[in-house]
Amino acid sequence: MAELWNMLILEPILNSLISLCSMLGGNFGLAIIVFTVVVRIALLPLTIRQTRSTKAMQELQPRLQELQKRYAKDQQKLQQEMVKLYREAGINPLGCLWPLLIQLPIWIALYQSIMQALAATPENLLNLAQHLYSWDLVARAVPLNERFLWLQLSKPDPNLILALLVGATMWVQQKMVTPPAADPRQQSMNNMTLMMMPLMFALFTLSFPSGLALYWVVSNVVGIVIQYFVGGGWGYLRKPPGAGKPAPGRDVSDAKAPSVASGKEASKSKTIAKTAEVKKGVFSENERARSQR
Amino acid sequence: MFDLPKRPILSVLLTLALVALRAIGCASPEWQGWSGVASYEGILFVGSMDGKLLAINPSARSNDLPFPSAGEWVFRFPAFGLARPVCGPACAPTSPMANIYATPLIQDDLVYVATYSGENGRVLAINRIAPGYAEGAPMRSKGEWVYPGGLDSIGAVVGSPALYDNMLFVGSSDGKVYALDATYGEKQWVFDTGAKIWTSPTVGNSVLYVSNYGRKLYAVSARDGRLLWQKEFPASIASSPTVSDGKLFFGTFDHYFYAVNASDGEVEWKFRGGGWFWGTPLVKDGIVYAGCLDGKLYALKVDTNMKEGEKVWEFTADAPIVAGPVLANSGIVVASKSGKISVLKLDDGSLLKATSVGAQVIAPLCPVGNMVYVHARDRCVYCVDAERGEVVWKFSTVIK
Repeated sequence: MAELWNMLILEPILNSLISLCSMLGGNFGLAIIVFTVVVRIALLPLTIRQTRSTKAMQELQPRLQELQKRYAKDQQKLQQEMVKLYREAGINPLGCLWPLLIQLPIWIALYQSIMQALAATPENLLNLAQHLYSWDLVARAVPLNERFLWLQLSKPDPNLILALLVGATMWVQQKMVTPPAADPRQQSMNNMTLMMMPLMFALFTLSFPSGLALYWVVSNVVGIVIQYFVGGGWGYLRKPPGAGKPAPGRDVSDAKAPSVASGKEASKSKTIAKTAEVKKGVFSENERARSQR
Repeated sequence: MFDLPKRPILSVLLTLALVALRAIGCASPEWQGWSGVASYEGILFVGSMDGKLLAINPSARSNDLPFPSAGEWVFRFPAFGLARPVCGPACAPTSPMANIYATPLIQDDLVYVATYSGENGRVLAINRIAPGYAEGAPMRSKGEWVYPGGLDSIGAVVGSPALYDNMLFVGSSDGKVYALDATYGEKQWVFDTGAKIWTSPTVGNSVLYVSNYGRKLYAVSARDGRLLWQKEFPASIASSPTVSDGKLFFGTFDHYFYAVNASDGEVEWKFRGGGWFWGTPLVKDGIVYAGCLDGKLYALKVDTNMKEGEKVWEFTADAPIVAGPVLANSGIVVASKSGKISVLKLDDGSLLKATSVGAQVIAPLCPVGNMVYVHARDRCVYCVDAERGEVVWKFSTVIK
């Protein structure tokens, strides 16, 4: 299993990274940046799919909450109604996870590659020797120069700069896609997650090799750029708190999610439009039922 | 089951990713180092992978006597500096514990050992009969010393030191070669190569040869550290050079094995293997034997007119060959990384005997007559009888 992993994932990434470093004049920091951008671009279709899937899921949240309220005492019925709702909206609720799961091995392999390529210890160097292709470009680049700007890439950044950059970029990226929740409990949970993850990664940056932290920063920045263009602007980063909160007692069908509120954004996302149509159909049935009562 | 909000799912995934990362980082054991075994007056000296130096009596081990028996002792290297509070799972070690990559060297009553502690290193001279270190300081009355003294350190040391004319030469990760007086540990001279040195220096005809990871090979006067010549290669030098018959032999990261003129560094021939030539080569009767990470041991003619080298024979092992080959009474002994020890005929490389220690072998081998001592990755020292092709005894260096 380990050999298969090395042969199919680790070694291609490792050797590409080192070749890139060689082509960039032996600057490994620059190689990490370029490689991260290339990997993120290669994964762009997955990222776009994930972004849209996530957005579509967010659109359904008010209706899901309504269903939860309505069938609070009948879990089986609730499940049936939810599955029906997802089917009608054409959404796979786990759809946003697949792109993440596919990216995970690449992320781990990149981490391993950075660590192996830098060969911080003699054992690492010996291991590296056994994963390198016999390309002259690769062989002549090793051992790599681990200096980049103020960083020593195989060691943690002694300053707080990289940790702050990791935390800040991750927060911005997450904030762009986190909608304000109607439920105060949910909102406080969202706020906590929004703070917790960047904080956690910032803390990890203090203890992980700065080469990996550099990858995180670049990856986050690319993620922000993708989110900006695919999601339509700064998303929830610029929305005032409570902008997406439906008024109490107001029919959820009237509560437009912030991204739908903008005509420009709505036109960019077919999924959102589709979701909005489904919403309209289901809620007009609700209204009919109410007037009959 | 479907109404999980996205954020917690994301958190779970990221937490899983971090756990995976931690697992990857922590997969490698805390202990490190690959000190070989050195033999002197019937006692074996080896640096353990958990920062200790051991004196082992082979006859006590073959009789399975309790440790320590006569002539045996264990010495834990004094830690220096404080543990750094921040360091990731896969970067340089956090602890100030001294690890040992260099094979100990013995002269008279002193055992010389160089240490590796993250970025720092030291050279210690320890009394070989009974270490006298008290509270981390050398006992002068026993002739012990440490370089540098106090809280200072040099760069971490990976390559083994070399001794010549009562001078000890140590190559360090700070790119410098330190020449120390072997009796008192005083610095004689320092030569700065400008790039990390992880190979062992070697001396021949009053000239010290040392390579660094800046792709350069240097020849310096052993007496005063004066540069005699330097030569740059297309790739960095992987193995410690061997000097013999007026030539230097070593391998580089681009899979080449070089023979260069020891007086001016000019390349005489180079041979292409299928991997790095990591271990120190062995020269015997006009043939140079070089183990390669492609799993082959190559026997090459020292003197040849062929620019691509002239292969006499090759032996294919079951795994990469990391440790350099050594000579025992019965033939040439080569260890593959898998732990298989093979004894080969010198003239044609045919297999005479083979056995396995059952653990990875990357440390240099130590031949004494027909016995070969192997420090394996399971932290045990094995005594292998090369004539009979069997493991005679095994001793764990894990001493509480």
